[in-house]
Amino acid sequence: MIREFTKGLFKENPIFVVLLGLCPALGVSTKVINALGMGAGTLFVLVGSNIFVSLLKGFIPEKVRIPAYIVIIASFVTIVEMVMQAYAPDLYNSLGVFVPLIVVNCIILGRAEAFASKNRLLPSVLDALGMGLGFTLGLSAISLVREFFGNGTVTIFPIAPLGFDGIIRIPLIYQSPARIMTLAAGALLVIGYLKALLNYYEAKKKDAPKNEKGVKEAALAE
Amino acid sequence: MKTITVIGGKLALICAVAAFSLGLVNAVTAPRIEELRLARLQAALAAVVPEGSAGEYEAVAESGVVRGYYPVSSASGEKVGYVLRLVGSGYGGDLNMIASYLKDGTVHSAVLMDNQETPGLGKEAEKPEYMRMFKGTGGEKDVPYRKSQLPQDQADAISGATITFSGIGRALNTGSDFAAELGGTE
Repeated sequence: MIREFTKGLFKENPIFVVLLGLCPALGVSTKVINALGMGAGTLFVLVGSNIFVSLLKGFIPEKVRIPAYIVIIASFVTIVEMVMQAYAPDLYNSLGVFVPLIVVNCIILGRAEAFASKNRLLPSVLDALGMGLGFTLGLSAISLVREFFGNGTVTIFPIAPLGFDGIIRIPLIYQSPARIMTLAAGALLVIGYLKALLNYYEAKKKDAPKNEKGVKEAALAE
Repeated sequence: MKTITVIGGKLALICAVAAFSLGLVNAVTAPRIEELRLARLQAALAAVVPEGSAGEYEAVAESGVVRGYYPVSSASGEKVGYVLRLVGSGYGGDLNMIASYLKDGTVHSAVLMDNQETPGLGKEAEKPEYMRMFKGTGGEKDVPYRKSQLPQDQADAISGATITFSGIGRALNTGSDFAAELGGTE
């Protein structure tokens, strides 16, 4: 059961492995705080829609399942939009159009169609949590690299008592940042390199046990 | 026929439940959103008003660049300028702005409010430093809205977001004419 949760984090990470949801990944990953906010929003919608799709899987007629899923997803997105607008207006302003666009984020429809509509409630929730966290993780990694090099800052939550405004300024890079990183081209570059890195470790992991076995066999043959 | 009714009915039921729950959430969040919007408007007004205080708001038009204005009077009651609500068109859609002008149409200050510009590029215009390049223009000097009208160092600062810049420039320019006209008649 726990595998339903952990698979979304690395093995089937929506951004780097399944390559879903690239549109918001390119769009909002200019600041770490935006990535975290977007991740949280997507996670909420994913969990909400997976719960309802899983619960209603007997009720929703096969022929209109996609419209039904879209209605469920769109409702959760609208809730996120309204709540964010009311309680986190700065975040809402900086995410802009990408909040309503969560509706068409293929990760969510993908999980509803491929997983929640065929599985029971608990696995569906775990699947949504894993995929949502995996998405947040990927988005945060991309935005960390992009903001670090592109703006020379790392923006996280402001901590008022410490007089910390939430922005860590990186010396040297802050004065002359590599602006390309904040553009879409920079996002694609970063996603490409991060994916390559992930693939490299995956490949290494796969090779490792094979070699061990090979060594043992060699030892037996002697 | 019957299956179609059943399918349609089920879909309609899902939609109805969704609409109802959204209505509930909206009832909770709408007042707060409105409150925030007003607070932002007040803050922007306070930031742009030159010496003196803003009077009653007067709506001008539902569309176009100049949507309405607040007359600004000094402590002694003399009219010193206007605060205009402007809507320009930028790279990502409308640029909602609040700008204050002296009576001859000179830009005193401006604030970019709701907009959908690109984060990191056009959104830079939300920073107070950005609007400094417009300050003092509009009277004897034209409000810049082409890159060639700017000194070199400022032209570099706006590169990558030229459409945002010219949208703001054009709106401020129209506002300047409007304020000068108002100031001339009174």
